[in-house]
Amino acid sequence: MSVQMEDNQLLKQATSPKTRGLLRVIILALIAGAAVSSRLFSVIRFESIIHEFDPWFNFRATKYLVQHGFYSFWDWFDDRTWHPLGRVTGGTLYPGLMVTSGVIYHLLRALALPVDIRNICVLLAPAFSGLTALATYLLTSEMVTSPSAGLLAAAFMGIAPGYISRSVAGSYDNEAIAIFLLVFTFYLWIKAVKLGSVFYGALTALFYGYMVSAWGGYVFITNLLPLHAFVLICMGRYSPRLYVSYTSWYALGTLASMQIPFVGFLPIRSSEHMSALGVFGLLQLVAFVDYVRAQIPNKQFQTLLRALVLLVFVVAFGGLVLLTVTGVIAPWTGRFYSLWDTGYAKIHIPIIASVSEHQPTAWPAFFFDLNMLIWLFPAGVYMCFKRLTDEQVFVVIYAVLASYFAGVMVRLMLTLTPIVCVASAMAFSQILDTYLDARKPKVPAKEEEGADVAKVAAAAVLPEGLRSTRGPVIGIYSYASKLTVVGASLVYLLLFVMHCTWVTSNAYSSPSVVLASRLPDGSQHIIDDYREAYQWLRQNTPNDAKIMSWWDYGYQIGGMADRPTLVDNNTWNNTHIATVGKAMSSREEVSYPIMRQHEVDYVLVVFGGLLGYSGDDINKFLWMVRIAEGIWPDEVKERDFFTARGEYRVDDEATPTMKNSLMYKMSYYNYNKLFPAGQAQDRVRQARLPAQGPELSTIEEAFTSENWIIRIYKVKDLDNFGRDHQSATAFDKGTKKKRGSARRKGPKTLRVE
Amino acid sequence: MRWLHLLTAAVLPFTALGAKKSASSDRFSDFRTKSLSTGALKLDDASYAKLTKSPRDYSVAVLLTALETRFGCTLCREFQPEWDLLSKSWVKGDKDAATRTVFGTLDFVDGKGTFQSLMLQTAPVLLFFPPTTGPNAKVDAQPQRFDFTSGPQPAERIHDWISRQLPADVAKPRIVRPINYVKIITITTAVLGVITFITVAAPYIVPILQNRNLWAALSLIAVLLFTSGHMFNHIRKTPYVAGDGKGGIAYFAGGFSNQFGLESQIVAAVYGVLSFAAISLALKVPRIANAKVQQFAVFLWSAVMLCTYSYLLSIFRMKNGGYTFKLPPF
Repeated sequence: MSVQMEDNQLLKQATSPKTRGLLRVIILALIAGAAVSSRLFSVIRFESIIHEFDPWFNFRATKYLVQHGFYSFWDWFDDRTWHPLGRVTGGTLYPGLMVTSGVIYHLLRALALPVDIRNICVLLAPAFSGLTALATYLLTSEMVTSPSAGLLAAAFMGIAPGYISRSVAGSYDNEAIAIFLLVFTFYLWIKAVKLGSVFYGALTALFYGYMVSAWGGYVFITNLLPLHAFVLICMGRYSPRLYVSYTSWYALGTLASMQIPFVGFLPIRSSEHMSALGVFGLLQLVAFVDYVRAQIPNKQFQTLLRALVLLVFVVAFGGLVLLTVTGVIAPWTGRFYSLWDTGYAKIHIPIIASVSEHQPTAWPAFFFDLNMLIWLFPAGVYMCFKRLTDEQVFVVIYAVLASYFAGVMVRLMLTLTPIVCVASAMAFSQILDTYLDARKPKVPAKEEEGADVAKVAAAAVLPEGLRSTRGPVIGIYSYASKLTVVGASLVYLLLFVMHCTWVTSNAYSSPSVVLASRLPDGSQHIIDDYREAYQWLRQNTPNDAKIMSWWDYGYQIGGMADRPTLVDNNTWNNTHIATVGKAMSSREEVSYPIMRQHEVDYVLVVFGGLLGYSGDDINKFLWMVRIAEGIWPDEVKERDFFTARGEYRVDDEATPTMKNSLMYKMSYYNYNKLFPAGQAQDRVRQARLPAQGPELSTIEEAFTSENWIIRIYKVKDLDNFGRDHQSATAFDKGTKKKRGSARRKGPKTLRVE
Repeated sequence: MRWLHLLTAAVLPFTALGAKKSASSDRFSDFRTKSLSTGALKLDDASYAKLTKSPRDYSVAVLLTALETRFGCTLCREFQPEWDLLSKSWVKGDKDAATRTVFGTLDFVDGKGTFQSLMLQTAPVLLFFPPTTGPNAKVDAQPQRFDFTSGPQPAERIHDWISRQLPADVAKPRIVRPINYVKIITITTAVLGVITFITVAAPYIVPILQNRNLWAALSLIAVLLFTSGHMFNHIRKTPYVAGDGKGGIAYFAGGFSNQFGLESQIVAAVYGVLSFAAISLALKVPRIANAKVQQFAVFLWSAVMLCTYSYLLSIFRMKNGGYTFKLPPF
């Protein structure tokens, strides 16, 4: 009731609590509707299709789950990827997403609604975004008393591009459900800390377990909750409430997380989880001291006790460090370590550094994804310091940490977005609540003396209050000021909505499997080369034909063409990826034995030169070289792919190594025949190609898609006469030109490469 | 015929060994005993020629460097301790000379002739001479060259490189880094000092640490820094400003995922002004008792907010060509 007492006075007079509750439900339902519908651009524009790369694997795994049942999914060994190694898929994935859609699928069937599993997968992310908006409402309502803040936060969360980027229809990835779980787990945690309830602590653990099963980003929760508890202890705010909620979360949550095969014993054996364990131990100590202090009032004994606690803490910490050094506890894994030591990944793990979403974030990306929220966000954080309750401490910690992570890695914008929405909604609702109040404040002129005394007394009692909030709140006098601020806020909000819609529609709704372009008359033209090529593979190659391609396309080939691949987006085996990189970046004579050894039947490359599609393999080529160089520094050298002046070129001045590499040859093979002689042009790199195109001897062109985006080559079998392929090709050519071959027939020369 | 060929080929190495064995093995043990005390041998033109003279049945790793300050080769000086460490631990670890490798250092001062004959323009260069005779001999007697193109290398990297040149079945000695006692003592003293300082100064520090305004300021600065792309500058080492090609200064980098140091600071300041305007409107203005002053403050802060936001949008339009939204002033 007290919440509503402070509520908007105008509304309070006009409506009863019940009506307001109903209104709130309706508003939330509308927000959820808006959240879902703004994510449907791609379905309306293109079709109900799975997007990008990783979602294709999740989709394939979900299909497997639905077909073969839960237990065989759990034990799934996939021999159609990472040929010839295979992958223990059931034990190396986060099953939460697939199991969720599987449950929904079976539930709908039980309700006699036979929905195709693909449609469930496509629409899962938008559906969960509605739930995320709801969870954000709950979380924000815990932070401040004004209920308008919660509704605003829900609306922000529903349409903020930072979250939409990973949750449009068809983006069937772990983040689709993970962000909902993240926000909801935080809500339950705040609730548990506030109430000191085992029930909410257990619920936090339950949803934490769900989160662990869904996304590797669960480590963020694993570290944020202990940090919150730790800061509260340092602030001298230890309470039995904290003890109850933390211990129940930690004990149950750790057990829950260990049920996932991929996580297994990591929670007790890796450094990422040690802070949670450490704070758990610290809490026991603090609780013990707290208890003893209440029992024994002796002052000296308390000092002794405190020293003892400090000693135990230091010894335990030292023990942890020792265990880490000796290797019992695994040190930080590369991916997490690279968040702190930002230069680490570039030197040691080029695979991580090569992914575009692991790049640091420039400021336009923040503004693009969050618009005005990005500057309301610090204001909201500042307001948290006004009262600085336990839960507002959480907001501050979350805000600082998440901003750091989002600055280091583009993809972690996703974890920043919820707290930005919460904090900026707190700031914005504070403004709206102040300026939408229709009452005129009384002029407090006569009680100046008394106010001063009270102020001094208040300052004496509460010295740590914020500077800007020392005086008593009076209110806004004139309607002109109210109108100005409210009007401006309305304009900003409208601009925000338009920005979000524009960003969603322009940047985040492309499936990237299907490309769209505009024809001169303005109509839309669909470029469907990917599916054309994958369909060709599906129909024209044997079921077990092994396809070699760069790892980006592994999941798509597995999902759309249903053919075994050598490497895919899982990137668990760096050496295997480097092998493919070596095959792509070496001469044919080197690549051919590698391909034979791996039983490769077809090689697939992506080439954007004709269309000006910049995400093609030649642009990714340097990463292949770098990754291969990491394993074979003597055979593949990045330096050899740059000209003497340090340029990366594909035209006449390209280095011999570049021109002889398999990737270059496959990309530009026969390309010059499209153009008049000497006119061949690469539209991505704006380069004129050599008049003489590359020649292939160990592989032959099998398929090229309509816009040349995908080119597939067949690896030739061994020559029937036992010759090597180069001489076989030379012989074939020689028979056509008698004279040329006659001249070539001389004394045998030693081939020096 | 073929048999004869094979036979000759098989016998050939033995004859070579028989002929040269005494001389070259003497040479190796000579150099080795010398290097036992120093690690890498200090060479000059004459000893360099003697050491690398073919035929040899041992391998040689020579670092060609220029240590004197007047040559201004910082890379040479940075790498030298690593090289000494590597050669010392290699010679010490390789007790029975199983790898048959000699380490040498040739400074430019002592070996001008060698530098000229190799036509070296840069230093340092690491050369590795494989054996020309003996069981591990290579057909290609040309020395392998290691260029320090990517900056100073740790000893481990060079160790890997040399190990790759040697046959795989020979055990390579490990690098033994000496324990840095000075560092340990320094750190212990520093930690103890800090602890002492904290205990002594605690009564003065604690009130500061408990000051809410301080923490608020710290958190806001951190948030503003990170959300304006400071980490991008830090990781990518972006330039602070750059010229615009017409003699002026370009404050804003072209392109969506690119920025300058100053640019991100301008953006942080813009965010800061906007946040401050929002805080003022939300918290400060309602506390102003005087109606006139309050009215003025509202208008002032609203105008500041509008102008700054409009400016921010105009910067963003500059970064992102297709962006269409704008607010009045800019």
